Amino acid sequence: MEIKQTTQGVLIYITMTFYLRAFFVSLLAWLIAVIRRRLLGSQQKSIFILKGLLGPVVCLILVLGSPFFIIVSLLTGLIALIQRWPVDRFLAQFERIMVWLGHGLYLVGFVLAVVSWGYRWYDVGHVPLQNLFEVFLFLGMIYPVSLFCRRFLRVGGFAADMLIGAIVLFPAGFVFHAEPQRLPPALQSWLFTPHVAVYMFSYIFIAKATFQAICQLAGKNPKPGENLLPPEQAAYRIVCVGFPLLTLGLILGSYWGKLAWGDYWGWDPKELWSLVSWLVFVGYFHHRYMFGRKYPKLNSLWIITGMAAIIITLLWVNLSRLFPGLHSYAT
Amino acid sequence: MWLALVLIILLAVLSIYGAFIGAERAERFFNQPPLAVFWTAFLILLIAGLAAFGRLVRVPGLLLIHAGCILILAGGMWGSRAGNNIQKRLFGIDKIRKGRMAIYEGRSENHVLLDGTRMQKELPFSLKLKDFRLEYYKPTYLLIQARQGQRWKVPVEAGKEFPLGRDGGAIRIVKEYENLKIGMEEGKSVPFDDPSPGSNPALEVQITEPGGQTSTQYVFEKFPGHSHVQNKFFLSYHRVISDYVSELQIIEDDKVVAEKDLEVNHPLHYGGYHFYQSSYDDKAGQYTVLQVVSDTGLYVVYAGYWLLCLGVIWHMWLRHLFKRVRGKKQANGN
Repeated sequence: MEIKQTTQGVLIYITMTFYLRAFFVSLLAWLIAVIRRRLLGSQQKSIFILKGLLGPVVCLILVLGSPFFIIVSLLTGLIALIQRWPVDRFLAQFERIMVWLGHGLYLVGFVLAVVSWGYRWYDVGHVPLQNLFEVFLFLGMIYPVSLFCRRFLRVGGFAADMLIGAIVLFPAGFVFHAEPQRLPPALQSWLFTPHVAVYMFSYIFIAKATFQAICQLAGKNPKPGENLLPPEQAAYRIVCVGFPLLTLGLILGSYWGKLAWGDYWGWDPKELWSLVSWLVFVGYFHHRYMFGRKYPKLNSLWIITGMAAIIITLLWVNLSRLFPGLHSYAT
Repeated sequence: MWLALVLIILLAVLSIYGAFIGAERAERFFNQPPLAVFWTAFLILLIAGLAAFGRLVRVPGLLLIHAGCILILAGGMWGSRAGNNIQKRLFGIDKIRKGRMAIYEGRSENHVLLDGTRMQKELPFSLKLKDFRLEYYKPTYLLIQARQGQRWKVPVEAGKEFPLGRDGGAIRIVKEYENLKIGMEEGKSVPFDDPSPGSNPALEVQITEPGGQTSTQYVFEKFPGHSHVQNKFFLSYHRVISDYVSELQIIEDDKVVAEKDLEVNHPLHYGGYHFYQSSYDDKAGQYTVLQVVSDTGLYVVYAGYWLLCLGVIWHMWLRHLFKRVRGKKQANGN
């Protein structure tokens, strides 16, 4: 565990702060939505407001710890009082503001993540995808994937993505060394960027699919009126986007291996684990073709297993001494 | 379908086992006769699947994906050790599958030491090494350690002075040498960069004492920490290799038929073989070691890669995209 007292470190920590704040604000919006739904069905509105609203909402605002959120919350309350809004309307407005605020903070976090990655690029003088520090910095730029999934795939999970953004930046900020390294001859290839980048994008998509799979197992469905797919279908859709990237990563890596080391397949632990990740999703597609949505829990378990294989491929193979191999430089 | 699922799971389990035993043992393991049976069964199942399930042929994406997998497996098996043995027995093709060759500067060579054996075989042509060289990145830092234990890391920028604290004075890098030699001029020793072959990388630094006196010191990359007793600091630096380059000529019937600067990621392809930069003489830089790999089955595998990629992208992305665009067009038309 190390705290990076450098410009790079500061950028990472500020990005994490924004992602976490965006997550807490989204959590607040979700909490208000839950309260609103319950409130609509409740007979004793005023008592419920005191018990249900003031407790968790005020706590969350305080947890956020920023005077800005407290001011926004108080202002909304003040306007509601002056305008004599009914409780429903006050909560609806407050929820809307929190949703937009969460989105805004997430966007600022993304801009900072891009600046942080760009700064690293400037610092090392090559596309920063060489080691785990740089790869996790890249993974922190998750916002476009969230937006793509929401707009084109009807898959939600924005709040979870904010948390994923902060989680993947944690090892970059506190665990991995950030000492700039020169590119060794084997990495000086046009395949370096596409091979690693497509893999990272596929990992982000599959992480999102895994979140949907967990939601499916937990029985969480999207709110009515959100125009989002149920988790099982959402997970399938995201895997359909991520799997071609996973395939492309594997094939580009194999082609690059042939150019650099003389073999398109070297039986290296990282290669074998990446094959395992790929095969798990091949198995998932076959299983889903055979049974469709008849066993949704099994479908979800396939995806979670695939994600576990990906985590091993990305982290364990590089960090553990169990798997010495050609990809050790990525540590 | 069940059989396909079982074979996929089995291959995943075998791959996990292979990952734990290391690359060399895994290669041997996956080339054993029982595994050859497994690969053959996999290949037959894929072909039988295409014949049995009409959907795999009717849906273009699925056809491309499965045909791609068939080609990858077939190409891999054809280029494997067992595949080479079969080619030798059935068709009399006796190519070198994999090996290494060392070539000295100025000499030509066609003998290849086969991998895993002490046997040598000859290529039908020779390779001549005109020159082998290492290329380096510019050095980044000069490491300074005072006798009292303090350490500094100074960027290697000629002409710039860096302070070394109140008691340390300052240090300035005067010049960088690739091949430092000392000559005599009017009875004085004078350093110069010798352009003739050889390598003695060094930095010339000027140390200014707190009192203002200056002294010159040379930092040799190959002799880190080299210092006189009177020196206050141990100085060292190192450069990172950016490339290995073997300048090669291909000679056939005593004629030079092709030339190529062989580098990592830029192999030489000639006469059905790929040649890769594998190793070099790290003491004197007099010879290079090349890996020789036959290209048997390679282009079948590459064709499989193309089909698999196209199939997956078509089936999972493009056909949905086209459907959506078509749907929107129809909606606009209505």
